[in-house]
Amino acid sequence: MNRQSYRHRPEDELIQAAKNADQGAFTELVRRYEETVYRFSYKICRDKTKAEETLQDTFINVFRKLRSFDGKSKFSTWLYTIVTNNCLMKLRRRKMADLEDSLEEFDHPPGRNDGRPGSVMARWEETPADIVMAGELRDLLDRAITRLPEDYRVVFVMRDIEGRSTEETASILDLSIEATKSRLRRARAFLRQQLHPHMSAHAEATP
Amino acid sequence: MKCDQVYLHICDNLDEDLNSPRCREIKAHLRECPDCRAYLDSLKKTITLYRAMPEPSVPARAHRELFKTLTTLGGRTGSKTRHAGRKT
Repeated sequence: MNRQSYRHRPEDELIQAAKNADQGAFTELVRRYEETVYRFSYKICRDKTKAEETLQDTFINVFRKLRSFDGKSKFSTWLYTIVTNNCLMKLRRRKMADLEDSLEEFDHPPGRNDGRPGSVMARWEETPADIVMAGELRDLLDRAITRLPEDYRVVFVMRDIEGRSTEETASILDLSIEATKSRLRRARAFLRQQLHPHMSAHAEATP
Repeated sequence: MKCDQVYLHICDNLDEDLNSPRCREIKAHLRECPDCRAYLDSLKKTITLYRAMPEPSVPARAHRELFKTLTTLGGRTGSKTRHAGRKT
């Protein structure tokens, strides 16, 4: 069977064939998902070398474990579980208890004088996408998300960047819905706080 | 509803339907509270900025290494057919 014929086969057929040791079918699955896996790994690791290692490790795991994939979840969900575990194993250095402590402050609103005239929270200006692509702001975004503990970063990336649902994110990370929502809330608040000095100063400087 | 409660639930509703009773309360609060409006706006802009960040592609060398590894694994386990990946 040539490469073109694999390219037009539906995913479930490829999975079944790959389970029966059809290397062409497995190769096509890898081809379809390698960019997704690499980009997701990079968004979590923030390091191209680690992302490359995760890409390799993930597909080696997929190759070895594919027979155990039972089709009860989507293949992409199963794949994300493997990628996430590989990413987190590379990154995890601190215990979860430390991480919980470190972001608990984000369960409360940022400091301000509620409702009193003249105390309104500084607003952020619109930022065109092309400004994000280059220079200072890109570095700022990169530094902020690197500071975000990885167990929160992975939730933020899955929910807000990859657009996965709360339920799928919870399933991939083996978390409750409430824990997933809590981590997302803290992650968003943490990143917002990291960007706030720059973004509010930018707004004040803009006429 | 107070700012503290809005703060805790505001994130749940960033990209969801705002018709539940709690969401209607949040919306009512937001109409009256410029601080919470500014906070919600800055959260939305945080997400927008991260979505706009450029994403790298798999480097050609990493792609070649991946397929070399997988071909070796396939050979060891006696797969039926061999196949190269994309042209690099």
